[in-house]
Amino acid sequence: MIHLSHVSKQYKASTRPALSDVSLDVEKGEFAFVIGPSGSGKTTFMRLLLREEIATSGTVQVAGKDLSKLRRAKVAWHRRRLGCVFQDFRLLNNKTVAQNVGFALEVTGQARNKIKRVVPEVLQLVGLDGKANRMPRELSGGEQQRVAIARAFANRPLLLLADEPTGNLDPDTSQEIMLLLERINRTGTTVLMSTHDNTIVDAMRRRVIELHLGKLVRDEDHGVYGLGR
Amino acid sequence: MFADVMRGLRRNITMTIAMILTTAISLTLLGAGLIVARMTDQMQQTYANKIEVTIYLTKDVSTQDPNCQEKVCQSLGEALSGDTDLVKRATYQSQSQAWEQYQQMFAGQPEMLDIAKPTDLQSSWHVKLIDPQKYKVLAARYGHFAGVDSVVDQSQTLDRLFKVLNGIRNATIIVALVQALAALLLIANTVQVAAYTRRTETSIMRLVGASRWRTQLPFIMEAVVAAVIGALVSIVGLVAMKYLFVDKTLGSIMNAGILPPIDATYLVWVAPWLGGIAVGLAAVASYVTLRLYVRL
Repeated sequence: MIHLSHVSKQYKASTRPALSDVSLDVEKGEFAFVIGPSGSGKTTFMRLLLREEIATSGTVQVAGKDLSKLRRAKVAWHRRRLGCVFQDFRLLNNKTVAQNVGFALEVTGQARNKIKRVVPEVLQLVGLDGKANRMPRELSGGEQQRVAIARAFANRPLLLLADEPTGNLDPDTSQEIMLLLERINRTGTTVLMSTHDNTIVDAMRRRVIELHLGKLVRDEDHGVYGLGR
Repeated sequence: MFADVMRGLRRNITMTIAMILTTAISLTLLGAGLIVARMTDQMQQTYANKIEVTIYLTKDVSTQDPNCQEKVCQSLGEALSGDTDLVKRATYQSQSQAWEQYQQMFAGQPEMLDIAKPTDLQSSWHVKLIDPQKYKVLAARYGHFAGVDSVVDQSQTLDRLFKVLNGIRNATIIVALVQALAALLLIANTVQVAAYTRRTETSIMRLVGASRWRTQLPFIMEAVVAAVIGALVSIVGLVAMKYLFVDKTLGSIMNAGILPPIDATYLVWVAPWLGGIAVGLAAVASYVTLRLYVRL
Protein backbone atom coordinates (compact mmCIF):
# COMPACT_ATOMS: atom_id res chain seq x y z
CA MET A 1 0.00 0.00 0.00
CA ILE A 2 2.80 2.40 0.97
CA HIS A 3 6.34 2.16 -0.32
CA LEU A 4 9.05 4.62 0.65
CA SER A 5 12.51 4.21 -0.79
CA HIS A 6 15.38 6.41 0.48
CA VAL A 7 13.05 9.33 1.01
CA SER A 8 14.46 12.65 2.17
CA LYS A 9 12.68 15.94 2.55
CA GLN A 10 14.53 19.19 3.03
CA TYR A 11 12.56 22.41 3.64
CA LYS A 12 14.20 25.54 2.30
CA ALA A 13 14.16 27.41 5.60
CA SER A 14 15.51 24.51 7.66
CA THR A 15 19.14 23.58 8.30
CA ARG A 16 18.50 19.83 8.68
CA PRO A 17 16.24 17.57 6.65
CA ALA A 18 12.75 16.90 8.01
CA LEU A 19 13.12 13.33 6.74
CA SER A 20 16.42 11.67 5.93
CA ASP A 21 16.82 8.50 3.86
CA VAL A 22 13.65 6.80 5.09
CA SER A 23 12.73 3.48 3.50
CA LEU A 24 9.75 1.36 4.55
CA ASP A 25 6.71 -0.55 3.29
CA VAL A 26 3.21 -0.74 4.74
CA GLU A 27 1.03 -3.54 3.44
CA LYS A 28 -2.64 -3.31 2.54
CA GLY A 29 -4.85 -3.73 5.61
CA GLU A 30 -2.07 -3.03 8.12
CA PHE A 31 -2.45 -0.85 11.24
CA ALA A 32 0.72 1.03 12.11
CA PHE A 33 1.64 3.74 14.61
CA VAL A 34 4.08 6.49 13.68
CA ILE A 35 5.74 7.77 16.84
CA GLY A 36 8.50 10.16 17.74
CA PRO A 37 8.99 13.48 19.53
CA SER A 38 7.91 16.81 18.06
CA GLY A 39 10.09 17.67 15.08
CA SER A 40 10.90 14.03 14.37
CA GLY A 41 9.27 14.14 10.93
CA LYS A 42 5.87 12.48 11.58
CA THR A 43 3.84 15.30 10.07
CA THR A 44 6.16 15.56 7.05
CA PHE A 45 5.74 11.79 6.57
CA MET A 46 1.94 12.18 6.56
CA ARG A 47 2.09 15.20 4.25
CA LEU A 48 4.23 13.28 1.75
CA LEU A 49 1.64 10.50 1.66
CA LEU A 50 -1.11 13.07 1.11
CA ARG A 51 0.97 14.68 -1.61
CA GLU A 52 0.84 17.98 0.25
CA GLU A 53 4.63 17.90 -0.09
CA ILE A 54 6.94 16.27 -2.60
CA ALA A 55 10.06 14.38 -1.47
CA THR A 56 13.35 16.14 -2.18
CA SER A 57 14.82 12.76 -3.10
CA GLY A 58 13.70 9.14 -3.08
CA THR A 59 10.42 7.53 -4.09
CA VAL A 60 7.03 7.70 -2.35
CA GLN A 61 4.44 5.27 -3.69
CA VAL A 62 0.86 4.92 -2.47
CA ALA A 63 -1.33 2.16 -3.94
CA GLY A 64 1.21 1.67 -6.71
CA LYS A 65 1.38 5.33 -7.77
CA ASP A 66 4.64 7.26 -7.62
CA LEU A 67 3.50 10.52 -6.01
CA SER A 68 6.38 12.62 -7.31
CA LYS A 69 5.26 11.82 -10.86
CA LEU A 70 1.61 12.55 -10.18
CA ARG A 71 0.37 15.40 -12.33
CA ARG A 72 -1.38 18.24 -10.54
CA ALA A 73 -4.78 17.28 -11.93
CA LYS A 74 -4.37 13.73 -10.60
CA VAL A 75 -3.55 14.81 -7.04
CA ALA A 76 -7.27 15.24 -6.25
CA TRP A 77 -7.91 11.69 -7.51
CA HIS A 78 -5.11 10.39 -5.31
CA ARG A 79 -6.58 12.08 -2.23
CA ARG A 80 -10.00 10.55 -2.87
CA ARG A 81 -8.46 7.18 -2.06
CA LEU A 82 -7.22 8.50 1.28
CA GLY A 83 -9.00 9.59 4.45
CA CYS A 84 -7.57 12.05 6.98
CA VAL A 85 -8.28 12.64 10.64
CA PHE A 86 -6.64 15.37 12.71
CA GLN A 87 -6.18 16.27 16.35
CA ASP A 88 -8.32 19.42 15.95
CA PHE A 89 -11.17 17.53 14.15
CA ARG A 90 -11.49 20.24 11.44
CA LEU A 91 -15.27 20.19 11.28
CA LEU A 92 -17.34 22.91 9.67
CA ASN A 93 -19.20 24.56 12.53
CA ASN A 94 -21.95 25.96 10.32
CA LYS A 95 -22.94 22.51 9.06
CA THR A 96 -24.72 19.68 10.84
CA VAL A 97 -23.08 16.33 11.53
CA ALA A 98 -24.69 14.81 8.43
CA GLN A 99 -23.75 17.81 6.29
CA ASN A 100 -20.15 17.61 7.48
CA VAL A 101 -19.95 13.99 6.41
CA GLY A 102 -21.88 14.61 3.20
CA PHE A 103 -19.60 17.56 2.37
CA ALA A 104 -16.68 15.24 1.58
CA LEU A 105 -18.87 13.31 -0.84
CA GLU A 106 -20.54 16.35 -2.32
CA VAL A 107 -17.34 18.22 -3.19
CA THR A 108 -15.92 15.13 -4.88
CA GLY A 109 -18.94 15.03 -7.15
CA GLN A 110 -20.86 12.09 -5.68
CA ALA A 111 -24.51 11.78 -6.66
CA ARG A 112 -27.10 13.11 -4.22
CA ASN A 113 -28.75 9.69 -3.92
CA LYS A 114 -25.45 8.11 -2.97
CA ILE A 115 -24.81 10.81 -0.34
CA LYS A 116 -28.27 10.23 1.14
CA ARG A 117 -27.56 6.53 1.39
CA VAL A 118 -23.94 6.61 2.54
CA VAL A 119 -24.10 9.30 5.24
CA PRO A 120 -26.50 7.43 7.61
CA GLU A 121 -24.52 4.21 7.06
CA VAL A 122 -21.24 5.83 8.04
CA LEU A 123 -22.78 7.66 10.99
CA GLN A 124 -24.13 4.34 12.22
CA LEU A 125 -20.69 2.77 11.84
CA VAL A 126 -19.11 5.45 14.07
CA GLY A 127 -21.96 5.30 16.58
CA LEU A 128 -23.58 8.66 15.81
CA ASP A 129 -26.78 7.46 14.13
CA GLY A 130 -29.04 9.58 16.35
CA LYS A 131 -27.05 12.76 15.97
CA ALA A 132 -27.17 13.49 12.27
CA ASN A 133 -28.84 16.87 12.71
CA ARG A 134 -26.73 18.13 15.60
CA MET A 135 -24.24 20.95 15.13
CA PRO A 136 -20.59 20.18 15.98
CA ARG A 137 -20.59 22.59 18.95
CA GLU A 138 -23.36 20.50 20.54
CA LEU A 139 -21.11 17.43 20.59
CA SER A 140 -18.36 16.29 22.95
CA GLY A 141 -14.74 16.10 21.75
CA GLY A 142 -14.99 12.36 21.26
CA GLU A 143 -18.18 12.71 19.25
CA GLN A 144 -16.63 15.43 17.10
CA GLN A 145 -13.70 13.15 16.35
CA ARG A 146 -16.17 10.42 15.39
CA VAL A 147 -17.75 12.82 12.90
CA ALA A 148 -14.28 13.54 11.48
CA ILE A 149 -13.63 9.79 11.19
CA ALA A 150 -17.01 9.29 9.52
CA ARG A 151 -16.14 12.01 7.02
CA ALA A 152 -12.73 10.43 6.36
CA PHE A 153 -14.30 7.01 5.91
CA ALA A 154 -17.28 8.08 3.81
CA ASN A 155 -15.33 7.63 0.58
CA ARG A 156 -14.24 4.12 1.71
CA PRO A 157 -10.56 5.04 1.48
CA LEU A 158 -7.78 2.53 0.92
CA LEU A 159 -5.66 4.32 3.49
CA LEU A 160 -6.70 6.29 6.59
CA LEU A 161 -4.13 8.78 7.89
CA ALA A 162 -4.76 9.82 11.49
CA ASP A 163 -2.55 12.63 12.76
CA GLU A 164 -2.69 12.45 16.58
CA PRO A 165 -6.45 11.81 16.57
CA THR A 166 -6.58 11.33 20.35
CA GLY A 167 -4.36 14.30 21.20
CA ASN A 168 -7.28 16.39 22.48
CA LEU A 169 -9.25 13.60 24.15
CA ASP A 170 -9.36 12.06 27.64
CA PRO A 171 -8.12 8.45 28.06
CA ASP A 172 -11.58 6.82 28.01
CA THR A 173 -12.66 8.71 24.92
CA SER A 174 -9.28 7.98 23.29
CA GLN A 175 -9.92 4.30 23.91
CA GLU A 176 -13.29 4.54 22.16
CA ILE A 177 -11.70 6.27 19.17
CA MET A 178 -9.04 3.55 18.97
CA LEU A 179 -11.74 0.88 18.96
CA LEU A 180 -13.40 2.72 16.11
CA LEU A 181 -10.16 2.94 14.12
CA GLU A 182 -9.60 -0.78 14.70
CA ARG A 183 -13.08 -1.44 13.41
CA ILE A 184 -12.35 0.57 10.29
CA ASN A 185 -9.06 -1.30 9.88
CA ARG A 186 -10.98 -4.59 9.98
CA THR A 187 -12.95 -3.49 6.91
CA GLY A 188 -9.65 -3.70 4.99
CA THR A 189 -8.63 -0.05 5.22
CA THR A 190 -4.94 0.48 5.99
CA VAL A 191 -4.58 2.79 9.03
CA LEU A 192 -1.52 4.87 9.75
CA MET A 193 -1.71 6.83 12.99
CA SER A 194 0.81 9.26 14.42
CA THR A 195 0.64 9.64 18.19
CA HIS A 196 2.39 10.64 21.40
CA ASP A 197 0.05 8.49 23.49
CA ASN A 198 2.18 5.67 24.93
CA THR A 199 -0.80 4.05 26.71
CA ILE A 200 -2.57 3.46 23.43
CA VAL A 201 0.51 2.17 21.60
CA ASP A 202 1.41 -0.12 24.47
CA ALA A 203 -2.12 -1.44 24.77
CA MET A 204 -2.65 -2.14 21.08
CA ARG A 205 0.69 -3.86 20.33
CA ARG A 206 0.61 -3.05 16.65
CA ARG A 207 3.41 -2.16 14.26
CA VAL A 208 5.44 0.83 15.49
CA ILE A 209 7.40 3.09 13.12
CA GLU A 210 9.58 5.44 15.15
CA LEU A 211 11.18 8.55 13.72
CA HIS A 212 13.81 10.69 15.41
CA LEU A 213 15.28 13.86 13.89
CA GLY A 214 13.96 12.76 10.51
CA LYS A 215 15.50 9.29 10.61
CA LEU A 216 13.73 5.96 10.88
CA VAL A 217 15.09 4.58 14.14
CA ARG A 218 12.71 1.69 14.72
CA ASP A 219 10.25 -0.35 12.68
CA GLU A 220 8.82 -3.10 14.86
CA ASP A 221 5.81 -5.39 14.61
CA HIS A 222 3.72 -5.62 17.79
CA GLY A 223 5.84 -2.85 19.29
CA VAL A 224 5.42 -0.66 22.34
CA TYR A 225 6.04 3.07 22.75
CA GLY A 226 9.15 3.15 24.96
CA LEU A 227 11.66 0.92 23.22
CA GLY A 228 14.34 2.25 20.90
CA ARG A 229 14.32 5.81 22.22
CA MET B 1 -23.78 25.38 -4.08
CA PHE B 2 -25.91 28.45 -4.73
CA ALA B 3 -26.97 28.52 -1.05
CA ASP B 4 -23.29 28.41 -0.08
CA VAL B 5 -22.57 31.29 -2.47
CA MET B 6 -25.33 33.43 -0.94
CA ARG B 7 -24.12 32.54 2.57
CA GLY B 8 -20.60 33.57 1.55
CA LEU B 9 -21.84 36.93 0.26
CA ARG B 10 -23.85 37.56 3.44
CA ARG B 11 -20.91 36.61 5.66
CA ASN B 12 -18.82 39.37 4.14
CA ILE B 13 -21.67 41.81 3.64
CA THR B 14 -19.77 45.14 3.85
CA MET B 15 -17.20 44.04 1.29
CA THR B 16 -19.98 42.63 -0.88
CA ILE B 17 -21.83 45.97 -0.85
CA ALA B 18 -18.60 47.84 -1.66
CA MET B 19 -17.95 45.43 -4.53
CA ILE B 20 -21.49 45.84 -5.90
CA LEU B 21 -21.36 49.65 -5.69
CA THR B 22 -17.93 49.98 -7.28
CA THR B 23 -18.91 47.63 -10.08
CA ALA B 24 -22.22 49.47 -10.55
CA ILE B 25 -20.55 52.92 -10.78
CA SER B 26 -17.93 51.61 -13.19
CA LEU B 27 -20.53 49.96 -15.41
CA THR B 28 -22.85 52.98 -15.32
CA LEU B 29 -20.04 55.19 -16.59
CA LEU B 30 -19.07 52.61 -19.17
CA GLY B 31 -22.71 52.29 -20.25
CA ALA B 32 -23.02 56.08 -20.52
CA GLY B 33 -19.82 56.16 -22.61
CA LEU B 34 -21.15 53.45 -24.92
CA ILE B 35 -24.47 55.27 -25.30
CA VAL B 36 -22.71 58.56 -26.17
CA ALA B 37 -20.55 56.68 -28.70
CA ARG B 38 -23.64 55.20 -30.28
CA MET B 39 -25.36 58.58 -30.33
CA THR B 40 -22.36 60.10 -32.09
CA ASP B 41 -22.35 57.32 -34.69
CA GLN B 42 -26.04 57.79 -35.31
CA MET B 43 -25.64 61.56 -35.60
CA GLN B 44 -22.78 61.16 -38.05
CA GLN B 45 -24.90 58.85 -40.20
CA THR B 46 -27.93 61.16 -40.01
CA TYR B 47 -25.97 64.29 -40.83
CA ALA B 48 -23.79 62.69 -43.52
CA ASN B 49 -26.72 62.82 -45.95
CA LYS B 50 -27.68 66.34 -45.03
CA ILE B 51 -24.33 68.09 -44.92
CA GLU B 52 -23.91 70.80 -47.49
CA VAL B 53 -21.42 73.47 -48.30
CA THR B 54 -22.96 76.94 -48.31
CA ILE B 55 -21.63 79.65 -50.59
CA TYR B 56 -22.83 82.94 -49.11
CA LEU B 57 -23.23 85.86 -51.44
CA THR B 58 -22.27 89.36 -50.37
CA LYS B 59 -24.93 91.53 -48.73
CA ASP B 60 -25.01 93.81 -51.76
CA VAL B 61 -25.79 90.97 -54.13
CA SER B 62 -28.24 89.49 -51.61
CA THR B 63 -30.20 92.72 -51.39
CA GLN B 64 -29.96 93.92 -55.02
CA ASP B 65 -30.66 90.56 -56.70
CA PRO B 66 -33.10 88.74 -54.42
CA ASN B 67 -34.25 86.24 -57.08
CA CYS B 68 -30.85 85.48 -58.65
CA GLN B 69 -31.61 86.94 -62.05
CA GLU B 70 -28.52 89.07 -62.58
CA LYS B 71 -25.18 88.12 -64.00
CA VAL B 72 -23.11 87.61 -60.85
CA CYS B 73 -25.53 85.18 -59.22
CA GLN B 74 -26.53 83.51 -62.50
CA SER B 75 -22.95 82.83 -63.59
CA LEU B 76 -22.14 81.32 -60.22
CA GLY B 77 -25.19 79.08 -60.50
CA GLU B 78 -24.22 78.03 -64.04
CA ALA B 79 -20.65 77.31 -62.99
CA LEU B 80 -21.86 75.14 -60.12
CA SER B 81 -24.32 73.25 -62.34
CA GLY B 82 -21.59 72.62 -64.89
CA ASP B 83 -19.11 71.39 -62.29
CA THR B 84 -20.27 67.79 -62.52
CA ASP B 85 -17.11 66.19 -61.15
CA LEU B 86 -17.50 68.03 -57.85
CA VAL B 87 -21.10 69.16 -57.41
CA LYS B 88 -23.99 66.79 -57.02
CA ARG B 89 -26.67 69.45 -56.58
CA ALA B 90 -26.78 73.21 -56.10
CA THR B 91 -29.82 75.03 -54.75
CA TYR B 92 -30.31 78.75 -54.44
CA GLN B 93 -31.72 80.23 -51.22
CA SER B 94 -32.78 83.84 -51.32
CA GLN B 95 -32.58 86.32 -48.46
CA SER B 96 -36.33 86.02 -47.84
CA GLN B 97 -36.17 82.21 -47.83
CA ALA B 98 -33.27 82.42 -45.36
CA TRP B 99 -35.37 84.67 -43.16
CA GLU B 100 -38.29 82.23 -43.27
CA GLN B 101 -35.97 79.44 -42.22
CA TYR B 102 -34.56 81.58 -39.43
CA GLN B 103 -38.05 82.34 -38.18
CA GLN B 104 -38.96 78.67 -38.17
CA MET B 105 -35.76 77.70 -36.39
CA PHE B 106 -36.22 80.19 -33.59
CA ALA B 107 -40.01 80.18 -33.45
CA GLY B 108 -39.96 79.53 -29.72
CA GLN B 109 -37.32 82.13 -28.94
CA PRO B 110 -38.69 85.66 -29.58
CA GLU B 111 -35.46 87.29 -28.36
CA MET B 112 -33.60 85.66 -31.29
CA LEU B 113 -36.19 87.04 -33.70
CA ASP B 114 -35.85 90.50 -32.19
CA ILE B 115 -32.09 90.77 -32.69
CA ALA B 116 -32.19 90.00 -36.43
CA LYS B 117 -33.93 91.43 -39.48
CA PRO B 118 -34.26 90.01 -43.02
CA THR B 119 -31.51 92.18 -44.46
CA ASP B 120 -28.99 90.80 -41.96
CA LEU B 121 -29.17 87.46 -43.70
CA GLN B 122 -27.44 86.58 -46.95
CA SER B 123 -28.70 84.72 -49.95
CA SER B 124 -26.69 81.64 -50.74
CA TRP B 125 -26.06 78.60 -52.89
CA HIS B 126 -26.41 75.31 -51.01
CA VAL B 127 -24.08 72.82 -52.62
CA LYS B 128 -24.26 69.09 -52.09
CA LEU B 129 -20.88 67.63 -52.93
CA ILE B 130 -20.37 64.27 -54.66
CA ASP B 131 -17.51 63.67 -52.23
CA PRO B 132 -18.05 65.63 -48.97
CA GLN B 133 -14.30 65.45 -48.29
CA LYS B 134 -13.62 67.78 -51.26
CA TYR B 135 -14.86 70.87 -49.50
CA LYS B 136 -11.47 72.60 -49.87
CA VAL B 137 -11.44 72.12 -53.64
CA LEU B 138 -14.84 73.79 -53.84
CA ALA B 139 -13.76 76.62 -51.52
CA ALA B 140 -10.63 77.24 -53.62
CA ARG B 141 -12.59 77.15 -56.88
CA TYR B 142 -15.48 79.42 -55.88
CA GLY B 143 -14.16 81.43 -52.93
CA HIS B 144 -12.86 84.20 -55.19
CA PHE B 145 -15.85 84.33 -57.55
CA ALA B 146 -17.40 87.74 -57.95
CA GLY B 147 -20.22 88.30 -55.43
CA VAL B 148 -19.10 85.47 -53.10
CA ASP B 149 -18.72 86.46 -49.48
CA SER B 150 -17.66 83.18 -47.91
CA VAL B 151 -17.76 79.41 -48.33
CA VAL B 152 -18.84 77.53 -45.22
CA ASP B 153 -18.68 73.80 -44.75
CA GLN B 154 -21.37 72.59 -42.34
CA SER B 155 -19.37 69.50 -41.60
CA GLN B 156 -16.71 71.66 -39.91
CA THR B 157 -19.32 73.01 -37.52
CA LEU B 158 -20.59 69.48 -36.92
CA ASP B 159 -17.06 68.22 -36.44
CA ARG B 160 -16.78 70.55 -33.46
CA LEU B 161 -19.97 69.08 -31.99
CA PHE B 162 -18.70 65.57 -32.63
CA LYS B 163 -15.39 66.46 -30.99
CA VAL B 164 -17.29 67.57 -27.88
CA LEU B 165 -19.35 64.36 -27.88
CA ASN B 166 -16.27 62.20 -28.47
CA GLY B 167 -14.51 64.04 -25.65
CA ILE B 168 -17.43 63.30 -23.32
CA ARG B 169 -17.38 59.67 -24.45
CA ASN B 170 -13.61 59.32 -23.95
CA ALA B 171 -13.64 61.03 -20.56
CA THR B 172 -16.51 58.82 -19.40
CA ILE B 173 -14.79 55.67 -20.59
CA ILE B 174 -11.47 56.67 -18.97
CA VAL B 175 -13.18 57.31 -15.62
CA ALA B 176 -15.06 54.01 -16.11
CA LEU B 177 -11.76 52.18 -16.67
CA VAL B 178 -10.18 53.71 -13.55
CA GLN B 179 -13.27 52.74 -11.61
CA ALA B 180 -13.14 49.26 -13.17
CA LEU B 181 -9.56 48.94 -11.90
CA ALA B 182 -10.82 49.81 -8.41
CA ALA B 183 -13.57 47.21 -8.83
CA LEU B 184 -11.02 44.60 -9.91
CA LEU B 185 -8.78 45.28 -6.91
CA LEU B 186 -11.79 45.13 -4.63
CA ILE B 187 -12.88 41.81 -6.13
CA ALA B 188 -9.34 40.46 -5.66
CA ASN B 189 -9.29 41.63 -2.05
CA THR B 190 -12.76 40.28 -1.30
CA VAL B 191 -11.86 36.89 -2.75
CA GLN B 192 -8.70 36.75 -0.63
CA VAL B 193 -10.61 37.66 2.53
CA ALA B 194 -13.32 35.12 1.71
CA ALA B 195 -10.73 32.40 1.07
CA TYR B 196 -9.01 33.20 4.36
CA THR B 197 -12.30 33.18 6.28
CA ARG B 198 -13.13 29.79 4.83
CA ARG B 199 -9.68 28.24 5.01
CA THR B 200 -10.97 25.29 7.09
CA GLU B 201 -13.57 24.53 4.45
CA THR B 202 -11.10 24.77 1.59
CA SER B 203 -8.45 22.74 3.42
CA ILE B 204 -11.03 19.97 3.95
CA MET B 205 -12.02 20.16 0.30
CA ARG B 206 -8.40 19.82 -0.71
CA LEU B 207 -7.79 16.88 1.62
CA VAL B 208 -10.84 14.90 0.57
CA GLY B 209 -9.83 15.27 -3.06
CA ALA B 210 -12.11 17.98 -4.42
CA SER B 211 -10.77 19.20 -7.74
CA ARG B 212 -9.15 22.59 -7.83
CA TRP B 213 -11.98 23.81 -10.04
CA ARG B 214 -14.60 22.65 -7.50
CA THR B 215 -12.71 24.37 -4.68
CA GLN B 216 -12.40 27.64 -6.58
CA LEU B 217 -15.89 27.72 -8.06
CA PRO B 218 -17.78 29.03 -4.97
CA PHE B 219 -15.43 32.04 -4.71
CA ILE B 220 -15.68 32.78 -8.43
CA MET B 221 -19.46 32.41 -8.25
CA GLU B 222 -19.62 34.87 -5.35
CA ALA B 223 -17.68 37.47 -7.31
CA VAL B 224 -19.82 36.85 -10.39
CA VAL B 225 -23.11 37.11 -8.45
CA ALA B 226 -21.96 40.39 -6.85
CA ALA B 227 -20.91 41.71 -10.27
CA VAL B 228 -24.26 40.72 -11.82
CA ILE B 229 -26.07 42.59 -9.03
CA GLY B 230 -23.73 45.53 -9.74
CA ALA B 231 -24.62 45.32 -13.44
CA LEU B 232 -28.35 45.30 -12.62
CA VAL B 233 -27.90 48.36 -10.38
CA SER B 234 -26.02 50.12 -13.18
CA ILE B 235 -28.75 49.31 -15.72
CA VAL B 236 -31.40 50.64 -13.32
CA GLY B 237 -29.17 53.72 -12.87
CA LEU B 238 -28.94 54.28 -16.62
CA VAL B 239 -32.72 53.90 -17.03
CA ALA B 240 -33.26 56.39 -14.19
CA MET B 241 -30.73 58.80 -15.74
CA LYS B 242 -32.55 58.63 -19.07
CA TYR B 243 -36.04 59.23 -17.74
CA LEU B 244 -35.29 61.51 -14.79
CA PHE B 245 -32.40 63.58 -16.15
CA VAL B 246 -31.61 63.33 -19.88
CA ASP B 247 -35.20 63.37 -21.16
CA LYS B 248 -36.06 66.33 -18.95
CA THR B 249 -33.01 68.52 -19.49
CA LEU B 250 -32.13 67.70 -23.12
CA GLY B 251 -35.64 66.81 -24.30
CA SER B 252 -36.17 70.03 -26.32
CA ILE B 253 -32.81 69.66 -28.15
CA MET B 254 -33.65 66.05 -28.93
CA ASN B 255 -37.15 66.90 -30.10
CA ALA B 256 -35.68 69.55 -32.43
CA GLY B 257 -33.57 66.79 -34.00
CA ILE B 258 -30.22 68.34 -33.06
CA LEU B 259 -29.30 65.42 -30.81
CA PRO B 260 -30.76 61.97 -31.47
CA PRO B 261 -33.09 60.92 -28.64
CA ILE B 262 -31.87 58.15 -26.33
CA ASP B 263 -34.64 55.65 -26.83
CA ALA B 264 -35.19 52.41 -24.95
CA THR B 265 -33.38 50.42 -27.66
CA TYR B 266 -30.10 52.07 -26.61
CA LEU B 267 -30.58 50.71 -23.10
CA VAL B 268 -31.63 47.30 -24.41
CA TRP B 269 -28.49 47.32 -26.56
CA VAL B 270 -26.13 48.34 -23.75
CA ALA B 271 -27.56 46.11 -20.97
CA PRO B 272 -26.20 42.75 -22.26
CA TRP B 273 -22.80 44.35 -22.80
CA LEU B 274 -22.68 45.56 -19.22
CA GLY B 275 -23.85 42.19 -17.90
CA GLY B 276 -21.28 40.33 -20.01
CA ILE B 277 -18.44 42.65 -19.05
CA ALA B 278 -19.39 42.37 -15.35
CA VAL B 279 -19.44 38.56 -15.45
CA GLY B 280 -16.22 38.36 -17.45
CA LEU B 281 -14.29 40.80 -15.26
CA ALA B 282 -15.44 39.22 -11.99
CA ALA B 283 -14.70 35.69 -13.19
CA VAL B 284 -11.25 36.55 -14.53
CA ALA B 285 -10.29 38.72 -11.52
CA SER B 286 -11.35 36.11 -8.98
CA TYR B 287 -9.80 33.22 -10.91
CA VAL B 288 -6.46 35.01 -11.30
CA THR B 289 -6.50 35.99 -7.60
CA LEU B 290 -7.15 32.40 -6.55
CA ARG B 291 -4.40 31.11 -8.81
CA LEU B 292 -1.79 33.66 -7.76
CA TYR B 293 -2.49 34.51 -4.15
CA VAL B 294 -4.53 31.75 -2.53
CA ARG B 295 -3.44 28.17 -1.99
CA LEU B 296 -6.41 25.96 -2.72
